[in-house]
Amino acid sequence: MPEPTVDLLTDILGTVLQESAFIFAEPDPEPEAWEGEVLTARIAFESTQGGSLRLVTSPRAAAEVAANMLGIDPGAEADANGQAAISELLNVLGGAFLTRFFGAAVPSQLGLPATSVGTSPEPAPHRTCAAAVRLESGEAIVLELDLETR
Amino acid sequence: MGLDMLVVDDSPVTRKMVRRALGLCGLEVAQVHEAGDGAEALDQLGRHHIDLVLADINMPVMNGIELVERMSSDPDLCGVPVVIVATPMSQDRVEHVLDRGARAYLAKPFRPEALRDVVVQILGTAGGSDA
Repeated sequence: MPEPTVDLLTDILGTVLQESAFIFAEPDPEPEAWEGEVLTARIAFESTQGGSLRLVTSPRAAAEVAANMLGIDPGAEADANGQAAISELLNVLGGAFLTRFFGAAVPSQLGLPATSVGTSPEPAPHRTCAAAVRLESGEAIVLELDLETR
Repeated sequence: MGLDMLVVDDSPVTRKMVRRALGLCGLEVAQVHEAGDGAEALDQLGRHHIDLVLADINMPVMNGIELVERMSSDPDLCGVPVVIVATPMSQDRVEHVLDRGARAYLAKPFRPEALRDVVVQILGTAGGSDA
């Protein structure tokens, strides 16, 4: 099992964005603060260690991901599907993380993704590491890993 | 003729993505029905002719494995093939869903051509005049 590193999370986030939504994102420092509404999606996992993954981004980035996933123009439909698109993106990220981090031979299981919108990201109690990327539009997406210690 | 497909996923975005892939992949598709979980899928299967089911695993109410098990034990549904379309899974979980009766597993994200290849491999047709 590799160490949970920023590089691993960055690689998984970049690859899944590219393959799921045809979005090419650049690694970027994590935003120091979020302006406006913040969308947080969380998915729990269980393997040889338990934990969770969280995606934090803006509703604008979520709409951008939805438009790319569905092959539609930016607008009301993309806005309406933004939260579900981030939820699905995290679902795929979760599967990719489990097979990359724990290995495909190790039994593991994902929970169901849950999303919330607020003025700041939900606190991450056991944050192990995080990676951030920036889309061409300038919007940021952050992937956080909470790995439980046993 | 065209194929009648059932897409089962709790994510409306994923259902739309699979619909889009079905439209792009070169299959002749007559109708695409949708269900948000396994229980809704069984309801749809009771009301429509379905040639093939594309189902996620991780769903509320009734997950994809339970759906496959229910279909396998139902004389009216055991002949309807199920392809699991889900996030990357551990080998034991893939083997488990295939053991329970799923015909194939397609990992998300997938290319439309990969979806077409799986459907043609299972049904022996792309749904055109040879269907």
